[in-house]
Amino acid sequence: MSAVKLMTLVRKEWLEQLRSFKLIWIPLVFALLGIMQPLTNYYMPVIIEKAGNMPEGAVIEMPVPSGAEVLAGTLSQFGMIGLLILALAFMGAVSGDRNSGAASLVLVKPVSFLSFILSKWLGMMTLLWGALLIGYAASWYYTWLLFETVDFAPFLLSYVLYGLWFTFILTAVLLFSTLLRSAAGAAFSALGLALLLTALSGIAPKYMGWSPSSLTGFAYEAVQGGFDASASFGWSIGVTILLIAAGIAGSSALLRRQPALD
Amino acid sequence: MKELLQVNGLVKAFGQAQAVKGISFHIQEGRCTALLGPNGAGKTTTIRMLTGLLKPTAGSIQFHGLRAGEDRRSLLGYLPQSPAFHNWMSGMEYVVYAGRLCGLSPAEAKQRAKELLERVGLAEAAKRRIGGYSGGMKQRLGLAQALVHRPKLLVMDEPVSALDPIGRREVLGLLKELKSETTVLFSTHVLHDAEELCDDVIIIRSGQVALQGALPQIRSEHRRPIIELKLEEHAPSLEWAAGFEQRTSADERLSATIEEIERQGTMLRLTVKDMDKARQALTEELAKEKVRFSRLEAGYSSLEDLFMKVVGE
Ligand SMILES: Nc1ncnc2c1ncn2[C@@H]1O[C@H](COP(=O)(O)OP(=O)(O)OP(=O)(O)O)[C@@H](O)[C@H]1O
Ligand SMILES: [Mg+2]
Repeated sequence: MSAVKLMTLVRKEWLEQLRSFKLIWIPLVFALLGIMQPLTNYYMPVIIEKAGNMPEGAVIEMPVPSGAEVLAGTLSQFGMIGLLILALAFMGAVSGDRNSGAASLVLVKPVSFLSFILSKWLGMMTLLWGALLIGYAASWYYTWLLFETVDFAPFLLSYVLYGLWFTFILTAVLLFSTLLRSAAGAAFSALGLALLLTALSGIAPKYMGWSPSSLTGFAYEAVQGGFDASASFGWSIGVTILLIAAGIAGSSALLRRQPALD
Repeated sequence: MKELLQVNGLVKAFGQAQAVKGISFHIQEGRCTALLGPNGAGKTTTIRMLTGLLKPTAGSIQFHGLRAGEDRRSLLGYLPQSPAFHNWMSGMEYVVYAGRLCGLSPAEAKQRAKELLERVGLAEAAKRRIGGYSGGMKQRLGLAQALVHRPKLLVMDEPVSALDPIGRREVLGLLKELKSETTVLFSTHVLHDAEELCDDVIIIRSGQVALQGALPQIRSEHRRPIIELKLEEHAPSLEWAAGFEQRTSADERLSATIEEIERQGTMLRLTVKDMDKARQALTEELAKEKVRFSRLEAGYSSLEDLFMKVVGE
């Protein structure tokens, strides 16, 4: 594998993201999601009042959420809408190039299969971590404006943990888009996996501590400051990183076995 | 002459059906070879196995002159039957990108891309998005990107089939130049293209090699003397023709000189063993039976006849 060729491929991914405007609208959506959460939290009482149907003289008592709670809410918004958008944006990462035949022209050049897969993965990662940072930082800023300051360390830790969970799911998107011809199939499979793991973590948290999906729970705890690194925390990080590496290696092996569709 | 590529017993099965059933051939350095065959013969399948895009079910592909650990793809330039690019790139960007993937430096890649786009006639369109290119332009861009790293072997799958007569002439002219610079293998179903460009042909039919060799040699080995006779629309003459066809197989003297007769309407086509004797026998017949013919011609079978015979069986 050559670093120069890998960078050539990655630069092509970036250029494609730019020309297809993904590089612009995805961070924009994350920024909007990030701003919406503190705003809706702040104006919720007003909104409910304006929505009417309240008996005359009724007083709305709503506890003012803490800054950390607002940020945790933002993360869970990212975890649903943000993840859906990222999965849809990258669902054709490999299958698209393969179906069109564009991948054949690249793969007859002296380029390693791992480079090809890694370039797709790195392209996803820069957009994911960048968009997540922009959105989360926007939320952090508005939370500071409208509620209170949240310390930097919990903010950063929760960002990294959530980013790792996203990385895991996007690696699954990459793997499924190498395995399946259909882009929609890849998105559904990866999102299905995310839902399944999240549900299992909800049903049996005791037994799912090692699962990548428990990273989201750790992120909520981290931002709210009540975080103590338990054994399952280490497990889930280790398992997630291992699964990500396996996903990349698996995609590369799948591509090598069948470089072009016939 | 050095051997560049050796293919042995190549087989590709898709499920139960075998698309390629044990093809063997070799390619000499500096030669131009045509892989000739009708639709569905297995040309694309064979070529895709050579490029490594498709794994052979059995058989071997060996490139000579490959240094230890060197990727065979670095020797190859490949133009697929219908090339697909990234439509959001410009032609120039794509060729530079291809050059960088082959290990050229940025300056080299740029220089090469400029030269090649000029050469394939895309200098004007170099800055435009590939999405707006016509089919013929894409074919030429495909050629430019295949040549960017000066490959030892240029492999093309039906490079001119999708082009209009003018585009076809242009690309054929380009290929004529190229074949003096590198070894070329291309597939086609048009014999004429192969004859015009190639030194060697490999004729394949339903996944098997039907005939292969150097063109002049094939031409002289399979050349048969023939006589063509065209009759007028005259009932007794046509009756004679039908009778003559039957008699030939029965009559010993005739069947010793005439190998085969094909009759199509008013045309009679005789493949003969001995031209002088056949000519003699036929003219005697024609005079005796007062056959009204409009044309009588003696000559040799063409490569086209051979191709149709080999492929049509
Ligand atoms: N992926 C595939 N699955 C099943 N059969 C296939 C596949 N690809 C090719 N074939 C079959 O293999 C045979 C050879 O196909 P191939 O594309 O190699 O022919 P070809 O000589 O290139 O024809 P053409 O001149 O039409 O391009 C055909 O009968 C085709 O149906
Ligand atoms: Mg073909």
